[in-house]
Amino acid sequence: MATISGLSLSNPRLLFNSPGFPQTIKISSASPLSTRQTLTGSGRMKIVQPVRAAPEQISKKVEESIKSAQETCADDPVSGECVAAWDEVEELSAAASHARDRKKESDPLEDYCKDNPETDECKTYDN
Amino acid sequence: MAACTVYSTQTLRTNISIPTSSKTNVGLHQKQVLFFTTNQKNNSRRTNSNKRYLITCGAGDSQTIVIGLAADSGCGKSTFMRRLTSVFGGAAEPPKGGNPDSNTLISDTTTVICLDDYHSLDRTGRKEKGVTALDPKANDFDLMYEQVKAIKDGKSVQKPIYNHVTGLLDAPELIKPPKILVIEGLHPMYDSRVRELLDFSIYLDISNEVKFAWKIQRDMAERGHSLESIKASIEARKPDFEAYIDPQKQYADAVIEVLPTQLIPDDNEGKILRVRLIQKEGVKYFSPVYLFDEGSTISWIPCGRKLTCSYPGIKFFYGPETYKGNEVSVVEMDGQFDRLDELIYVESHLSNLSSKFYGEVTQQMLKHADFPGSNNGTGLFQTIVGLKIRDLFEQIVASRAETPVGAAKA
Repeated sequence: MATISGLSLSNPRLLFNSPGFPQTIKISSASPLSTRQTLTGSGRMKIVQPVRAAPEQISKKVEESIKSAQETCADDPVSGECVAAWDEVEELSAAASHARDRKKESDPLEDYCKDNPETDECKTYDN
Repeated sequence: MAACTVYSTQTLRTNISIPTSSKTNVGLHQKQVLFFTTNQKNNSRRTNSNKRYLITCGAGDSQTIVIGLAADSGCGKSTFMRRLTSVFGGAAEPPKGGNPDSNTLISDTTTVICLDDYHSLDRTGRKEKGVTALDPKANDFDLMYEQVKAIKDGKSVQKPIYNHVTGLLDAPELIKPPKILVIEGLHPMYDSRVRELLDFSIYLDISNEVKFAWKIQRDMAERGHSLESIKASIEARKPDFEAYIDPQKQYADAVIEVLPTQLIPDDNEGKILRVRLIQKEGVKYFSPVYLFDEGSTISWIPCGRKLTCSYPGIKFFYGPETYKGNEVSVVEMDGQFDRLDELIYVESHLSNLSSKFYGEVTQQMLKHADFPGSNNGTGLFQTIVGLKIRDLFEQIVASRAETPVGAAKA
């Protein structure tokens, strides 16, 4: 007689007779939609390109966000809108800095070969 | 011991006993030990006409260990993550073939997820409501808790992605349970349920002076930024930072405090740093690093006859303190390393480093000499915390390997 012992269940909830695969995670309404589509704040659907934004594009966004924060705060420097606007500046500045770091590190050939090691240009030979 | 979840797609006919004795608790989390008794051979996957079990074992043979890292934006979380995953072995990289703006990093042992992915309000939503990302109202702690718990229980989750460029929530990505899960961001210790899931927690506490200096360094080259805009951004975020982020440090097992140097009077440059590693006492599987004599108070200037240092030198301090009502041990380093032999000399005088060989700290620091802080206390203490977490992980795995049989008998 065989025994499996030492199986540990961190969660006593056993899903006996469950018809499908164990994906029981509830996702909040704020998140997932079908692939490549995202919900904007105003509820419109928008297609997002599957390409990482270049540092230059983010830099432009940083510049715009600073202008917008200065304008928002000119009227009321302690309003929630003003604070949120400066928070956006911080978020974009951090994103710009990360993008610069990534660019510094990345080598186009290395990146390509990571995903396509079998291609001719990526093969390495010992002798 | 495997962290397994057992699912059956048809009526289960085998004898199953689930001892609910509290003795099965091995100090980590409440666990249930399950016995299967069948006439068949053991198999993790089995199919026949009567029974179909699927036993999913995440993270190979062990339950996922969860580490929390809290810090403000632009305060060195990414650098810390790179040091940490390097200590665990292997570089952490973004998931292959997924969303290029994913915030996740994956290595052989470790998955790092960014808690910004749990924003419940996107950028437009926050603007409309006038709240910052620091505000708990902009974050979905229910989902954060559910998903971190699921991963800890060995289940994969579909985690949302917050896109920092567009400010929108992208389609979710699949996160499989790793050996070590690091949750980094603004609020890893804010919600008490999430906090309970953490096996170890770290808070990076950057003083206002240093934060300002770092952000100047980061942003001044950016078009549109000026000293005024950098200052305005820090000042505007400060009330929310103090209300929601800063209080988390009381819960951290280790705090890395970054302050201006005291070696140069009235130094405002923020180039030379005084860094304090505040280590909580009595944390299971974590024994603090110390200098010379555990529990005593020591002030140490390593520079002298044996070791020559350049201006302004290096100064260490070690001693017991009380921090936010907790007993802690503090190791402090002021100044910076200019030469390799300084670092080796310091490493050889620190005890309880949890390194695997003599010189491992120095080796790690040299390996990443290009990272910010590799010549001062930020790099030194980040590396040490990495070694401590590796040690904690190994101890937890070892303790699990010992307990199941004994616990099952009870």
